[in-house]
Amino acid sequence: MDDLEKHIESISRAVDEWLQPDNKDLKEAIDRTVDEGLFAFHDIQHQIRHLKQTVHLKSLSAWAGRAGLTHTSCSNRRVLCLHAGNLPLVGFQDLISVLMYGATYLGKLSRKDPWLLQSFLKIAENRGLSGMGKWSTKLNNLEGETADAFIFAGSEQTVPEVTETLEELKLIKSQIPSLIRTAHFSIAWITDNSPETMMNLSEAVFRYGGNGCRSAAMVVAPFNLKSQVCSFTDYVDTFWLRNPQHEKPLPKLFHRYAYNKSKGLPQAWLNDFLIEQNSEIPDEKFVLKWVKGGEKEIKDIISSAGEKLQSVYRSDGARLELAGRVTEPLSSAQTPPIWWKPDNTDTIRWLIDHVR
Amino acid sequence: MNIDEIFDSAIPFQNRTAAVLDFQLERNPLYKRFAEVFGINHAEVIPAEIPLLPIRVFREHDMLVTGKKPEITFKSSGTGSMTSSRHLITDTALYKKAIEQEFYRHFSKKDFSILAYTPGYSDNPESSLVWMLSHLIDQDDSGLSRFLTLGKPIEKSELEEITEKGKSVLLFGAAFGLLDLIELGSAALPPGSAVIETGGMKTYRREITRVELRQHIEEGFRIPPEHIHSEYGMCELMSQFYAIGGEWFSKPHWVHISVRKEDNPSELCQPGEEGKIAVIDLANVYSCPFILTEDLGVMDEKGQFRVLGRWNKNNMRGCNFLIDRD
Repeated sequence: MDDLEKHIESISRAVDEWLQPDNKDLKEAIDRTVDEGLFAFHDIQHQIRHLKQTVHLKSLSAWAGRAGLTHTSCSNRRVLCLHAGNLPLVGFQDLISVLMYGATYLGKLSRKDPWLLQSFLKIAENRGLSGMGKWSTKLNNLEGETADAFIFAGSEQTVPEVTETLEELKLIKSQIPSLIRTAHFSIAWITDNSPETMMNLSEAVFRYGGNGCRSAAMVVAPFNLKSQVCSFTDYVDTFWLRNPQHEKPLPKLFHRYAYNKSKGLPQAWLNDFLIEQNSEIPDEKFVLKWVKGGEKEIKDIISSAGEKLQSVYRSDGARLELAGRVTEPLSSAQTPPIWWKPDNTDTIRWLIDHVR
Repeated sequence: MNIDEIFDSAIPFQNRTAAVLDFQLERNPLYKRFAEVFGINHAEVIPAEIPLLPIRVFREHDMLVTGKKPEITFKSSGTGSMTSSRHLITDTALYKKAIEQEFYRHFSKKDFSILAYTPGYSDNPESSLVWMLSHLIDQDDSGLSRFLTLGKPIEKSELEEITEKGKSVLLFGAAFGLLDLIELGSAALPPGSAVIETGGMKTYRREITRVELRQHIEEGFRIPPEHIHSEYGMCELMSQFYAIGGEWFSKPHWVHISVRKEDNPSELCQPGEEGKIAVIDLANVYSCPFILTEDLGVMDEKGQFRVLGRWNKNNMRGCNFLIDRD
């Protein structure tokens, strides 16, 4: 077994230990997260269960192979991850990327998700995993921990502000590599209205209250919304019975509904969500866009959405290449493999190319 | 309804609003459908409770009550890829009345002659600003009011022509146009002159703050700050607002201004709290008088308001904009 294999195995073991059912630290982190109202229990459960099924030695090794990772010799390089907190453990993949690459992890944990990732970090540290730097929910606590690269979800417009803050805290020097994630929604392309498709669609849209760039905020279907709304809302209700929406929309969503109604736009008001039939790029939380169409409409949306678009899912699972995108199965929207590429960039590959 | 009542300050504003609301519910099907969602189907509501249509309705629909035809159409200049707003004006006499009543409340017709400078607007033949200035210029019987030639500085002789006739200069211009005039080497304005700036701060060169703008105007035209005024208007509104010698705008008596919470447009902000500027402009009776703008503003205890810029939409879904602020 070479150094890389040993390194991956040690990460895999740390993950295994963390995800053990008798891990009191994880249980406490989950309880605390739920008690503080940060996420719903069922959403955390979904994420943990998914990680348990997909993060193991085999998948991590496969990821290393896909990314072209051949050795781990960058322990002197430090990578700062500014984690988002819109989904439970949304920063887990970035953390694993940095550890796999062999760099030192510096983490700004989100105050919206402060406990879950920390429970893994503690285990990794206790196991003496290499690359465990420093982490905190406060950037100030990381002051002086100069990084050689940073990763964050934001937009090109926010880069100067973020960079300035990081420079002020001496966390970075100017002009270091940064990986910025700008995608904020995905599209579900359904070709039928079978129960399986509708259940997968409900999961893809409503899991995490629609938060997260992998959540489908747009449906392209061969049917009008009006023809499907009754049966679809039955599936949505069933989903919500098991997974009540944790975060509620702001009252302004009702104003949007009222405005749509005044314009005669086909729509469905679900109290905690609004479905509206139009092809504008999603711009507001808790709104699902419904577009009647097929391949042409998908191509148009891909073209106008640009970097705002994360993934395109197909209900029949077919892998099609469309306008530079490869479709993914709808059923995998909320259960991506560990090597999935946010913003079409493999994070390990990016580290190999930019952090030497 | 009797349109003249809109401008009759002897009638309580609430009564005038009720009449306009009734008219809208009867003659504006789009607004009626909107109001019905909020349970409004009669005029017995106080102004602050009247549902406000988002201003983008003027980009997406031709807002005109049934039974009316437009005399003219105003279009906003639009920025970037944004679609222009369209305001169909069915009664220019009403528009003129709204313009004159508020403008002459602040600037005496007999005392001032207007020099208007509107680069960026002049190439938009459907600009409401240019139309308004043309109208005000036409009202000056002395014939001294006029549009300035674009790209040329104001010469001392042009100003003397006005002062020699016993009138004061009122330079009315788009903010960035006024800066251009200064850079072009315009003469200092004579004592008693005033400047009204309007329009955005965003120029093709750089963005400056309102404080900086006022300083530039003060130094460039050599006039005291209390003589530098602002106008707030838009193609979607028939009425305008003036801030005299500062940044706090007052309103005409036929307009109700409030500031609404961004996350709940039904809720009013407290004085000092920033939110979206909401307007009930009764002069918009034939289009839509109940409007929620995309402008960020704040009110004071006296009911005056400041315009702080465009609402910065940071409500993206997904992973964006999620970095905590320490």
